[in-house]
Amino acid sequence: MRDDVRALVIEKMLDGKDVPDGEDLLISGLIDSLGVMRLVRLLEARFSITIPAEDVIFEHFASIDDLAAYVERRKAAG
Amino acid sequence: MSGRLLHHWVDEAAARAPNVPAFRMRDDEITYERLARKSDQLAALLIEGGVRPGDRVGLYLNKSLETPVALFGVLKAGAAYAPLDPTAPMSRTAAVMRECGVRALITHEPKARAAETLLSTENLGDDFALVIGAAAPPAASLRAISWSALDAAPSLDEPDRTEDDIAYIIFTSGSTGAPKGITHTHRSGVAYALAAAELYEVSPDSRLSNHSPLHFDMSTFDYLSGPCAGACTVIIPEAYAMLPASMSTLIEQERFTHWYSVPFALIQLLEHGALDQRDLASLRWVMFGGEPFPAKYLRALRAHMPNATFSNVYGPAEVNQCTYHHVLQEDFAAETPPPIGKTWAIADGIQLDEHDAIMNTGSIGELAIASDTMMEGYWGRGDLNAKAFYTRIGDDGAKTKYYRTGDIVRDLGDGIYEFVGRKDRQTKVRGYRVELEEVESVISAVAGVSEAAAVIIEGASGSAEIASSFTAQMDDGDDLINRIQSAVAEKLPVYAAPAHLERIASFPRTTSGKIDRNAVARQFSIAKSEEAIAHAG
Repeated sequence: MRDDVRALVIEKMLDGKDVPDGEDLLISGLIDSLGVMRLVRLLEARFSITIPAEDVIFEHFASIDDLAAYVERRKAAG
Repeated sequence: MSGRLLHHWVDEAAARAPNVPAFRMRDDEITYERLARKSDQLAALLIEGGVRPGDRVGLYLNKSLETPVALFGVLKAGAAYAPLDPTAPMSRTAAVMRECGVRALITHEPKARAAETLLSTENLGDDFALVIGAAAPPAASLRAISWSALDAAPSLDEPDRTEDDIAYIIFTSGSTGAPKGITHTHRSGVAYALAAAELYEVSPDSRLSNHSPLHFDMSTFDYLSGPCAGACTVIIPEAYAMLPASMSTLIEQERFTHWYSVPFALIQLLEHGALDQRDLASLRWVMFGGEPFPAKYLRALRAHMPNATFSNVYGPAEVNQCTYHHVLQEDFAAETPPPIGKTWAIADGIQLDEHDAIMNTGSIGELAIASDTMMEGYWGRGDLNAKAFYTRIGDDGAKTKYYRTGDIVRDLGDGIYEFVGRKDRQTKVRGYRVELEEVESVISAVAGVSEAAAVIIEGASGSAEIASSFTAQMDDGDDLINRIQSAVAEKLPVYAAPAHLERIASFPRTTSGKIDRNAVARQFSIAKSEEAIAHAG
């Protein structure tokens, strides 16, 4: 799951630039505020999940590690 | 007597209420007593490191509690601070530093590596002598001091300064591609901070939001009006500003009384902030500025912020602020955005026609502003300063200097102005000023490009997006697009990068042969809506 999330973020959000799993995704201009909303839509489509607004928070989106863990939980919850 | 200087407020609050938090971020805070002491120590180190009264010091910092220490430390050293965009391309940051000839750079751990690369690759001029918070590159004749050295700093011998000395320089996009430095004195900063604190009822009980980054002029309210009133300013981390549902939690937990941002941030909060689940009753003032706010979003927001008065804040960074309009019942119901309102008590506004004649009430013309909050001028740019101001000679022969805003406004009566448009091609993207000529000049300079035209189109949530089309000498496909994107990333701030880039065979032209930019914008809008339809299908 982490690899899938990672591939999606790198391909669609970072124009192919690599980013370490633990690195802060949201600082230093890696992703901006509109980018976050685009990422949410991409994750929903790719993993067939819905992500409610109240889940789009720092604890879930800070790094690829955090994001992968969240998507996994969301998918398991059905 | 040196008069009122911006940092005096910090020392006065420290004496009056030492344990009150001046700034908070995440679970950490800095009290007025500590801020006063740390900024004294930093000032002493700056002076020891060669910073002299009137020098400029660059601040290369992410959002942090070091930011207020750096800001007030530079002022106490008698110097002016120049906030640098920590996300800007390195060459642009270096250009800003050279433009105002900084003596020193203050950075910190998250930006240390970037700062070290900057220092080792860019020539910052002969006057550059000191870096705080990063290592000096090998072989550079530079002093480097770490933040941990503050506690061992000598005691501060504060230089004698006056209200007319420079205090801060905010950089903005220039149409020729060179950033220009809006230079403010202690006098203009103090006049602004006091007037804004009074108008928006900032008191020691207030909790201000710092949403804007420091290099964006709206941050002066958070960093100057807060201490002016002895209030607490809560710095919103960059990541939270991208995550509306986290930001709304912060508003609730920190019990913000004042919110100040561009409309875009509030619209994001409304659309993605899970506001149904938040209690935002602590908000008393919701201030916005930088661009018009569509009334339908204001209507929806009001339902979530029951105790707030909404206020449209207007003023180019050159005058800090000059007009305001507290949103009225009829404005919420309107189809058009609320007006920019009337000049506040300390400013005088006039409208000029194209021949510089002062217009009668009820006209449409360029707004010019005279106020103590006005900048001294653009740093080192006599050419721009000659054009930026209008001198009015009164009946008694007295001269008054007005700043020409470049904004065309309609006088609605009762002194209320409505924004109509720009005199030039300056535009706003999420509140940031962008000169479309600058975007075009960066694209046109790429080898293989013949001509470029940049326009504004409507993007998501009613926000503006930059779109640019270009013509090319030969067809080398994606390679050229890639080269343009690299040039844009190297030379322009993130917000000025075109969201849409398209090669076309030839430009639509007006009858006089100029590129028809309205037609270019229409083409992009049509392409966008077709794309949306295709996605929906």
